[in-house]
Amino acid sequence: MPRLLLSPLPFAAVLALRYLKSTRKDAFASFLSAVAAGGIALGVAALILSLAVISGFQDALRSEILGRTPQLEVELPPGADAAAARRAVLAVPGVRAAQVQARGGGWVVAEGKVQPVELVGIEGTVPRSFPGAAGRPEGLYVPRGLAERWALRRGQLLRLASPRPTLTPFGPQPRVRTLPVAGFYESGRTQQERERVALPLRAAESLVGGGSRLLEVTAGGLDEALTLAARLPAVLPPGAEVRTWQDLNRPLLFALRLEKAVLFVAVFLIVLVAALALVADLALVTSSKRPEIGMLGAMGATAGEVGGAFLLLGALVGGLGTAAGAVLGVAGAWVLDRYELLPVPGRVYFLDYVPFLVRWQDLVVVLALTLFLALVSSYYTARRAAAMDPIEAMRR
Amino acid sequence: MSVAVAAAGVHKTYVDGVRRVEVLRGVDLEVAPGELVAVVGPSGSGKSTLLHLLGALDRPDAGAIAIGGTALTELSPRRLAHFRNRTIGFVFQFHQLLADFDALENVMLPGRIARRDPRQVLARARALLEEVGLADRLDHFPSQLSGGERQRVAICRALALEPPLLLADEPTGNLDPESGAQVFDLFLELQERHQTTGVLVTHNPAIAARCARALRLEGGVLQPG
Repeated sequence: MPRLLLSPLPFAAVLALRYLKSTRKDAFASFLSAVAAGGIALGVAALILSLAVISGFQDALRSEILGRTPQLEVELPPGADAAAARRAVLAVPGVRAAQVQARGGGWVVAEGKVQPVELVGIEGTVPRSFPGAAGRPEGLYVPRGLAERWALRRGQLLRLASPRPTLTPFGPQPRVRTLPVAGFYESGRTQQERERVALPLRAAESLVGGGSRLLEVTAGGLDEALTLAARLPAVLPPGAEVRTWQDLNRPLLFALRLEKAVLFVAVFLIVLVAALALVADLALVTSSKRPEIGMLGAMGATAGEVGGAFLLLGALVGGLGTAAGAVLGVAGAWVLDRYELLPVPGRVYFLDYVPFLVRWQDLVVVLALTLFLALVSSYYTARRAAAMDPIEAMRR
Repeated sequence: MSVAVAAAGVHKTYVDGVRRVEVLRGVDLEVAPGELVAVVGPSGSGKSTLLHLLGALDRPDAGAIAIGGTALTELSPRRLAHFRNRTIGFVFQFHQLLADFDALENVMLPGRIARRDPRQVLARARALLEEVGLADRLDHFPSQLSGGERQRVAICRALALEPPLLLADEPTGNLDPESGAQVFDLFLELQERHQTTGVLVTHNPAIAARCARALRLEGGVLQPG
């Protein structure tokens, strides 16, 4: 029973499906088809996996970085009334919290050991940019990493020094304050991050001076913070600068995006090479079927039907490869992430394993672009097949 | 059903490099409905070219061809394809069967191109193949058939849509004398039974003699054979 010819499929589809099946009989054509489809599958899988690695790292890095970055930071102009600015910001709808901070460089000194740090003066409770200590009452909070290295205990007295000199009868001396350790916060494992310590605002101001003040503003979420940033300058004194978490991490976020784009282009070259194999495959099939294409024309098949059949054949080979690659890539990414199969030294990186995260947007772009490329590759041979003169084609 | 074929003053010239070959120099041909006309002539005399022009596979440089009253020169390529599909059945020297389709499917192809109901197309193809004694060869691919069988399948394919005009280019030229004779007997029988108008190109005088009328193509013009 000729099931294919009894199907309601258009004639071009009938031809394409039969040619796809028959290429298996021709050893060289089937080899080329396998190379084309396999190459496309490999390229698609490699693209999905490499984008998933970048996405996974981006995701982990973002939560790592953003966990300790203020959502919004307002730098007040010198001499501005910080308390009044804080009240004005709190009155803006969408603002969950606002805190006055003073920041500056300094050192932590204990028993002959010195660590340069950023001193963050806080008022009231510890902000969210100090994970593990957020919400606790104000006091001296040091990173857990430093505490472990120096074997610090809670309540132990630490000296904080600043480069801002104070004049004494013995000449200018660095300012030093001694404070008890109130607690620890989870320090990040990224290299970029400087060691920070949180300390009461008053103590910080005496160390770094009260000239430069900041407001750390918290909104409902990261996206809300971005929309809020546009509304803040209206209520702030002139000269105040609003920075979002994006501004604060711009170089890093840009580097991540650039890395993804460059990797995409590089890995997409595999798909490009496979598309060339597809062109060769279709060229071989059309040239081996020349007399048949001529006979189809004599029987009254239109150029559109003949061209459509070869376009569809290319789309089928490309589509099979794309589908196989998508399954391979998505399944591979899931398994590698779920079972944490690729470990990395945690002391060097901020993660214990390579994370894989398949974003549907990436998947759509990869699949659409690959199929488009397969169609473009087939279009050339399809047009040549459609333009064949029946008499010329049938001549042996 | 059959149609009349009329060609008047048909010219065709090929340019082969710098050499111009005037193949047809004013061919006039009238074929009555249901008549079978043989065109004989030495090879290279332009018999196949004439057949291609009559079959709307090529266009004349000058002159007019009408099949069943339709002037071929006025049709667009798309309409020509449609016209070939419905009106003309071709049998070539080489069977030109599609290697990836079995005998039954090959005979079904014109019907599928014409977008006829597939069930009717199947029934018609099966009946034709049974008529030519290939009932047990329906699911055989061209590579599994003998030369004579292939040509019989090709004749069935040409008749699949009951075209009013059958054009044959050396239909037995590729066969041994015995199966060639069998295939030609079959061709004549089917042509008569279906009352199809036919133009047959051959260099075989024995075959030409069995047609209703034979014409000789020589020097680019048709003369009574």
